[in-house]
Amino acid sequence: MESRVISMQQKNQRLALKLALAALLMFGFGYALSPFYAAFCQFLGIDRANASLTSAGAALRVEFDVNVAPEIPVTMQALDGVQVAHAGGQVRARFLLRNESDQTVYLRALPSFAPVRAAGLLQKLECFCFNAMSLAGNEQREVTVVLMVANQLPPEMGAATLSYSLQKIDPGQLRAM
Amino acid sequence: MMTSLAHPHTHSEHSAEHHAGWARWLYATNHKDIGTLYLWFAFAMFITGGVMALCIRAELFHPGMQYWQPEFFNQLTTLHGIIMVFGAIMPAFTGLANWMLPLMLGAPDMAFARMNNWSFWLLPPAAALLLISLFVPGGAPAGGWTLYPPLSAQAGMGMDLAIFSIHLLGLSSIMGSINIITTILNMRAPGMTMLKMPLFAWTSLVTAYLLIAVAPVLAGAVTMLLTDRHFGTHFFNAAGGGDPVLFQHIFWFFGHPEVYIMALPAFGIVSQIIPTFARKPLFGYVSMVYATCSIAILSFMVWGHHMFAVGMPATAQLFFMFLTMLIAVPTGVKVFNWIATMWQGSMTFETPMLFAIGFVCLFTVGGFSGLVLSIAPIDTQMQDTYYVVAHFHYVLVAGALFSLFAAVYYWLPKWTGFMYHEGRGKLHFWWSIVWFNVTFFPMHFLGLAGMPRRIPDYALQFTDFNAVASVGAFCFGLGQLLFFYNVIHTIRGGVGPAPDKPWEGGNTLEWEVASPAPHHTWESPPDIELVRRGLIAQAVEHEEEGDAR
Ligand code: HEM
Ligand SMILES: [Cu+2]
Repeated sequence: MESRVISMQQKNQRLALKLALAALLMFGFGYALSPFYAAFCQFLGIDRANASLTSAGAALRVEFDVNVAPEIPVTMQALDGVQVAHAGGQVRARFLLRNESDQTVYLRALPSFAPVRAAGLLQKLECFCFNAMSLAGNEQREVTVVLMVANQLPPEMGAATLSYSLQKIDPGQLRAM
Repeated sequence: MMTSLAHPHTHSEHSAEHHAGWARWLYATNHKDIGTLYLWFAFAMFITGGVMALCIRAELFHPGMQYWQPEFFNQLTTLHGIIMVFGAIMPAFTGLANWMLPLMLGAPDMAFARMNNWSFWLLPPAAALLLISLFVPGGAPAGGWTLYPPLSAQAGMGMDLAIFSIHLLGLSSIMGSINIITTILNMRAPGMTMLKMPLFAWTSLVTAYLLIAVAPVLAGAVTMLLTDRHFGTHFFNAAGGGDPVLFQHIFWFFGHPEVYIMALPAFGIVSQIIPTFARKPLFGYVSMVYATCSIAILSFMVWGHHMFAVGMPATAQLFFMFLTMLIAVPTGVKVFNWIATMWQGSMTFETPMLFAIGFVCLFTVGGFSGLVLSIAPIDTQMQDTYYVVAHFHYVLVAGALFSLFAAVYYWLPKWTGFMYHEGRGKLHFWWSIVWFNVTFFPMHFLGLAGMPRRIPDYALQFTDFNAVASVGAFCFGLGQLLFFYNVIHTIRGGVGPAPDKPWEGGNTLEWEVASPAPHHTWESPPDIELVRRGLIAQAVEHEEEGDAR
């Protein structure tokens, strides 16, 4: 091969062009991360924004959460922490309550939805929170909530959380309710 | 021979380049003029971002809400971060590269003079967009410099301005990088092989490659954000099947290399300065080059350490954790080499050397707190506390900023032709290092005690350390006026004319040209002997002992 004489300027321009191309490719690479990420998460089974749950408008992820006020000797556990709600269907979740002390305790559970407008889509048919209750010393009891799911679920709401806070009341309030 | 080479001919009437007044700067194509523009722009942004930092610290002096609405406070932290990173530190390094690379490599100018002009002039409009965003409805972006959605997806039009600003800044960085790489690869003086370049050229080269690789990724991320906001795409919108966590992955794929973009040039600067004032060649030159490259490569694989708290699988956490710790190895090599260079050297402690040593000490502190944060279980505790703020300011202020101060004092005689006032330089150093530590060291304790970052008000137990940090910040800020005064004083004549070689131990090619460096230098490349002699003394003595005299 005969050596071709190229000027410094040409040499520079060629290198610059290559570098500009590299920059352009990296711009594309940024976009390629999006499908790659989705495939990767699906492969690993960790896709939290699963389209089948959200985009159809037909299903909603419902999470159940519990909090117990610090002064009560009671534990509460959500037995069905996560449920899938289908439009027009029902969701049922169980909780396990257990009195760790020898004394009777009087309790009330306060429900709250996040986001708040989920309350309109998930109507409580039956709930242990409708009534105050008492737990005898060392008693263990399973309670349930049944939710009716609205016929139309808005597509943008992927998940809703129903959270219960357990509070102590005094026996007088129990009778009054 | 040595000094006369600098101005082989006096280019008095070079038509295109002799615009008068403002036109000289607007149409600047000379690497020195452009370097100067970059440096002044960076300084202006440093002051702007600094004033914002002081507004933040004023609010945090006392618990309770004093001066700003919480929304505005968030805008202040966000703009402070963006402006310091993209407006101050990065342009300052590009400015230095512009000024010094052709001089150090023996090239007449940067490879693409006209593009160089464009790279610079994209910056002021970008800065203007950011500042204008303060005055639009909804205000400036307030979701942190990381711009995480969904917050950034919901923000007002200030966010759009910031996105466009980032586009311009990215474009500027990419063009600047193309220029730097081409200059370094193609325009070195004959006899200067890659492994004989000054280390500042090496770190500039690697940094420029990093920028070409990641600036477009950031541009992609904010473009996706933009289309999510306005054009109905769902990259980061969970309701449409997207995932906000994806933004974090893309952002930090850019963001982690970005922190090395702000650190590597600093490594280059101190690798020039320490040998000069220790009057010894840089210890382990070749290992420095390898360390630089391995840091750059590893930096692409550790982004997940910014996301330990998003809920990633344990194996991924371990992967990111161990790779992050691995970066400590090449970094440790560098610190070791700097110390070994000083070991038994005949050191003197002029201002550039003081800043360089301050850099080595404090950057190491920042490196250690980074190592602490790299431990996933600790990070889940420390995430978004002031410990993180302390960590990255030790790296960015004591790292990037101090190295820049060192560089300015080191090369100021070459730029202006005058010597700065050594006493005032030293005062600036001691003032800065004391108040820097007063400002940021207590933040470690605040973070360990659980104070969250990005809050305008805090619980009472954090009061004392916050008050100390705020006092420190105001004193630190005040000290920078002294820096400004020092520079202006030097430009106006300083303590007298500077010799061509103001530093006894400086051997690289920039010291072979006159002080101040004339408008045109190295129009014909330096003599091969000159290249050799300088480089041997600077770095590669051990390799060249055979043919050195
Ligand atoms: C020199 C004096 C400086 C002071 C007093 C200062 C102070 C602060 C303060 C108080 C914050 C807010 C922390 C929070 O509430 O989250 C902050 C954030 C930040 N600073 Fe600085 N800073 C200084 C210099 C710098 C420099 C030189 C950089 C260089 C890149 C920098 C980069 C950042 C970044 C990236 C953030 C995070 C912004 C965010 O949370 O989005 N700072 N700084
Ligand atoms: Cu990182």
